[in-house]
Amino acid sequence: MGLGSRSGDRRTAYLFILPLAAFILVFIVIPVIGTFWTSLFREVTYLESVFNFLGNYRRLFSDANFWQSMKFTLLFVAVCLPIELFLGLVFALILNEKLPARGVLRAAVLVPWAIPTIVAARTWELIYNYSYGLANYVLAALHIGSGPVNWLGTPLSAFGALVIADVWKTTPFVTIILLAGLQTIPEQIYEQARVDGTVFYQRFFKITLPILRPVIAVALIFRSIDTIRILDLIYVVTDGGPGGSTTSLSLYGYKFFNEGDFGYGSAIAVVVFVMAALLSVIYLRVGGFKGVVE
Amino acid sequence: MRRLGTAALLAALVIVACAGETEKRGPITLMIGGAPAELDYWEEVIGAFTRESGIAVDLMRQPTDTDQRRQSLVVPLRAGEKNPDVFLMDIIWIGQFAASGWLEPLDANIATHGFDLNVFFGRIIEFADRYEGHVVALPVYIDAGLLYYRKDIFEDHVTGRVPETWTELIEYCRVAQRRQRRLQPGFWGFVWQGAQYEGLVCTFLEFALSNGGQLVDRSGNLTLDDPKNIEALAFMRDLIATYKVSPPNTYTEMKEEEVRTFFESGEALFERNWPYAWGLHQADGSPVKGKVGIALLPKFEGGRQVAALGGWHVGMSRSSDRKDDAYALIEYIVSKDVQIGFALNLGWNPARQDAYDAPEIVENLPHLIQLKHVFRNAAPRPNLPYYSLLSRALQAELSKALSGMLTAEEALKNAQAKGLEIVETYEE
Repeated sequence: MGLGSRSGDRRTAYLFILPLAAFILVFIVIPVIGTFWTSLFREVTYLESVFNFLGNYRRLFSDANFWQSMKFTLLFVAVCLPIELFLGLVFALILNEKLPARGVLRAAVLVPWAIPTIVAARTWELIYNYSYGLANYVLAALHIGSGPVNWLGTPLSAFGALVIADVWKTTPFVTIILLAGLQTIPEQIYEQARVDGTVFYQRFFKITLPILRPVIAVALIFRSIDTIRILDLIYVVTDGGPGGSTTSLSLYGYKFFNEGDFGYGSAIAVVVFVMAALLSVIYLRVGGFKGVVE
Repeated sequence: MRRLGTAALLAALVIVACAGETEKRGPITLMIGGAPAELDYWEEVIGAFTRESGIAVDLMRQPTDTDQRRQSLVVPLRAGEKNPDVFLMDIIWIGQFAASGWLEPLDANIATHGFDLNVFFGRIIEFADRYEGHVVALPVYIDAGLLYYRKDIFEDHVTGRVPETWTELIEYCRVAQRRQRRLQPGFWGFVWQGAQYEGLVCTFLEFALSNGGQLVDRSGNLTLDDPKNIEALAFMRDLIATYKVSPPNTYTEMKEEEVRTFFESGEALFERNWPYAWGLHQADGSPVKGKVGIALLPKFEGGRQVAALGGWHVGMSRSSDRKDDAYALIEYIVSKDVQIGFALNLGWNPARQDAYDAPEIVENLPHLIQLKHVFRNAAPRPNLPYYSLLSRALQAELSKALSGMLTAEEALKNAQAKGLEIVETYEE
């Protein structure tokens, strides 16, 4: 490609990315730096603002609630992501086949993703509701168990309830990305493989998966960043309960902002940012992007 | 971006408009949130004030949600904006707002105008509105926890009076549950606010104090793990797990609105709620209309009956550039006639004692007389600048005890330890 060979073209190219660069600078880089800067202060509304360098971070180390939120968040990512990836891959493979009404099916799979999270979360909250929720209604109609279940009442069941809601909401996103990836694989490769007498799982592991690897990495990056900073779903469904057992890092930090400790809240936000950034780098390294990154 | 542009344009217009009107004295701003009907009523109040005083007032509308109302105040106050001049605060924000230096002391104006603070309920000014000796806010209306009960079921199944102790309450609940469940399988004895949120602290305060416990001792030290508090919390868990008179979703879902709708649908004998529920229970279309009574919340043997104090207060921004006009508005808002208007139109309970004797109130809201006594003795939450942080730590531990993850003792020992950490970190 000779696009970059002439300095005029190069200038035009830079001009084209200028709006994007400006956008990133104003809405991402500056706020991130600002948050980091704030995290170095004791910044509480009613106290004098004092520079205390890493004081907020030191406090994080001995804050049991912070570690509890960290544990919850990592566990949530570790449970949700594989399920979403697996289901997303299955749906993508199915939707990639020549099915009747494929267009309708593809659109239908996207519906949960298209619903705003707050609305979806309210819906799930109602499904799990003890007195008039759908889940208990179904149990009663099928005569399963002895009376209504308090779904959000124990740490374990509340965790499970959140995982189900999150998987329902975000699997379509994984599906659509993987489906796009699948469509880039030429049908001839599979035909040749069939001629060579391969079985379907050989074709899947030798052809589909390797070609799909960068696409999977992209889906994983987006999903892990999203899940690591999860706030809205949990805020609505459990608000961190019972007993704070489902408090995510973002929710934990958000509460400090609301209560007027901007320094400590910022420190938690920075931790979430660093975790998301680290994960992205790892995925990019192992995801077949080597040439792109380096 | 477009929204930002529009906002900038609007801001510019406002600035131009204000600049043009400085000689004529432009409007002062009052920031209020709440339900649309409440805000519409505020427009009327402001209209009347302007006619009376000649001072124009702009109403800046906030969202309904309490957390968002707080956020939309903190931003301009922290930035030292001239507006809003006057605003409403939840009683538990006053400590933080005052300590942040956002509230203008009202003492001088109160003295010049000869305004008598004794018209308000007993100690409410001392509890909530005084900060480092200065009066920084005035109460607009007050809330207190009440016991609602179903008069009809009561008369059917139980003879005798309204329970005054928690033990009696459990007995009433058991009898009523046993009989009522033949017709209504989902019937429960007692519903109360047990979800992990600010309301849980209010309920806990009532149980703890009615057992002779305390959250803070006389010299201001935190006493969350007081043995009396532990007993009270264990009892709250027992209501759900042992006596089974409160539903299992008490600690996951029950906030005031869930409690109110549960009781209002006719599924409970007793309800702990704020006074606002009264009007809704008695409204046309309510299944329990005319069947509801109110009483003081019960106590433990040897304790006293306690109601947690809530409510909203009005204050003035230190950055206001129209302090005298702003004070005139504040004094108008807490005047007797306006307070009576709030009670009649919005069901808000006046913070002034003299409003309760007004003929309109006696005639239209006879139950308020009963409440006057409750309000006089309502118990405040600690008035500290870092109260919200303390409250959140406490909420999480209370929730652990109610859900059975920890015993009441473990939970309150944790809460005490975390509370002391918070005091150490945030004490000035």
